[in-house]
Amino acid sequence: MANEKKQIKMPYEKRKALYGYGFIGLWMIGTLIWFLYPLANSLMYSFMDVRPEKGGMQGKWVGLDNYIYVFTGDANYSKYLVNVLVETLWKTPLIIIFSLFIAVILNQKFKGRTFARAVFFLPVIIATGPVYSIINGNISSSGASSAGQFSTMFSTDLMGELFQFIGLYGINENIQKMVEAVSNNIFGIVWNAGIQILIFLAALQNIPVSAKEAAQMEGATAWEYFWKITLPYVSPMILACLIFTVIDSFTSPDNAVMGRVLDMQKDWQYGYAAAMAWVYFIIVLAAVGLITVILNHFIYYEVD
Amino acid sequence: MSIFNKKEEPVTEGGHIVGNGLSKKQIRQIHMRNMNKEEIAYLKRKEAIDKVWPIARFFILFGLCFIILYPLIYMISCAFRAQEDMSDPTVMWIPRHLTLKIIKQTMNAMNFWHTLGTTLFLNIGCSLVQVVTCAITGYGFARFKFKGKNLLFGIVLMMILVPNQIIAIPQYMEFRYFLFGAFNLIDTPFTMYLPALMANGIRAGLMIFIFRQFFKGLPKELEDAAYLDGCGPFRTFIQVMIPNAASSFLTVFLFSVVWYWNDYYVSSTFFTNNSTIALMLKNLNTLLSLELFNSATVEVSPREQIIWMEAGCLLSVTPLLVMYTFLQKYFTEGIERSGLVG
Repeated sequence: MANEKKQIKMPYEKRKALYGYGFIGLWMIGTLIWFLYPLANSLMYSFMDVRPEKGGMQGKWVGLDNYIYVFTGDANYSKYLVNVLVETLWKTPLIIIFSLFIAVILNQKFKGRTFARAVFFLPVIIATGPVYSIINGNISSSGASSAGQFSTMFSTDLMGELFQFIGLYGINENIQKMVEAVSNNIFGIVWNAGIQILIFLAALQNIPVSAKEAAQMEGATAWEYFWKITLPYVSPMILACLIFTVIDSFTSPDNAVMGRVLDMQKDWQYGYAAAMAWVYFIIVLAAVGLITVILNHFIYYEVD
Repeated sequence: MSIFNKKEEPVTEGGHIVGNGLSKKQIRQIHMRNMNKEEIAYLKRKEAIDKVWPIARFFILFGLCFIILYPLIYMISCAFRAQEDMSDPTVMWIPRHLTLKIIKQTMNAMNFWHTLGTTLFLNIGCSLVQVVTCAITGYGFARFKFKGKNLLFGIVLMMILVPNQIIAIPQYMEFRYFLFGAFNLIDTPFTMYLPALMANGIRAGLMIFIFRQFFKGLPKELEDAAYLDGCGPFRTFIQVMIPNAASSFLTVFLFSVVWYWNDYYVSSTFFTNNSTIALMLKNLNTLLSLELFNSATVEVSPREQIIWMEAGCLLSVTPLLVMYTFLQKYFTEGIERSGLVG
């Protein structure tokens, strides 16, 4: 009996596997052409001195020269790389904490909640585009105007205005500078937290009612509730958000390293550009891997 | 223990008595009488927090909403200003001379309606195609067992991780010498459509991932029933799964539209002219200098150029904002249903 069953089952499983290939077939071909082949090519370029010619790229093998140049010959690259890494290092936790905080607030019931939610997700649809770089004051200007003017229109010292409004004039300059730095970054943080808020909000809504009720019965304060209930349930999403944030900031065309890579490409230095991009990519990959490994120790997965 | 040492038995015994013609305050007093110190302290603290928190919350949200809306308000305020208002120190938000001139000039410089047409053609078309192909791929990953699945899914994750900048140049060469040099596809919509058609367009990896998560979350019984009725996998997918996934499709589609709309890196690689809105905006400065500032009749100070830039921003954001206003629900609620979570 069991044997018979197996005989019927085997072809079915096989057929299903074939169907599986059928479903992903289109993607497999596409990936081969539009992803893996270019990826391999780019890796090859990074070991070559290439220049475009009729019919494709021509070049000669130079071994590790490009990579050596990237680290020793190009003064800007290492500087940008460190800058981007440092910025990501302090900005990412801030974005995560901020978005979790906002998600908790937006999950409460109050008047005008729909409006508030709509406003907080607004950056999601704008922040990835060139509009963001204009309002953020980093427009790559090739005309008469310098980037300076555009930044003045945004960093018009919101905090300073607020202080004046309240009536604080002669406060310590250092404090004001610090507050200004934070307030200027608040813009960047708020505008980069849209998706994260969305993900956290969805996770918050998935917290089972039973956990909520139990906490209420035990008389947990909001503070205790956050640390003992909210955080554990949301922790898998913290990992997801972290990875998302890191990738988002690393791969954004606005960041300095990417800008440097693009400049090299514009100068027809494809070999160097490829080497730079690869070094960068491997660092990103290492960072993401490290975060995943470390955080996996702290994540609470509910076992059903 | 003190809870059980009740002094006034009759009052508490009546869950019936409580609420019978008593005011809320009285009910509370009756409740309080039976509590020990800790409980009362807890209640009082909670009450205080309940009163203060909404006010604090209002200020936090109001301030942050202001930060988010500030650029938009500024855009609107600038776009309708006359040039001289920019140098007028009395004008902060509300322009002295309301005018549509700037908007019109910017529209001319951007060749707005034509550009909008091209953008929509690329944007909506590619998004539609890509959502369908990514859904099919995601379904394949979610519900079928086959050899090398983990490896292939690893490639999907790679697609999310690898920045476009790495593969852009080789891709350019592929399009420039398509089919071993037989065609030059640069500057044609094929550069966008072909990858989208094969589930490899902008952020395709993420979309496949979302769909895979979503289909994994759907109950298996749905398909089993269809299979038992003699439905093949492809028909099952079209007739059973797609109707169930409608709202998730819409969400992913909307995000795809946004990503395509905002993309300027990929399109600037494959298009030599400024054919999409995002590209136009990126190069608006140059365009404007060509159109306006070089002519002898107009003199524009750098500070005044801001109003044209802001008008450009407003023009390029408006279509997205309109879409967002009407379909907000699907952006915000859809994420949850689309299975990105869990």
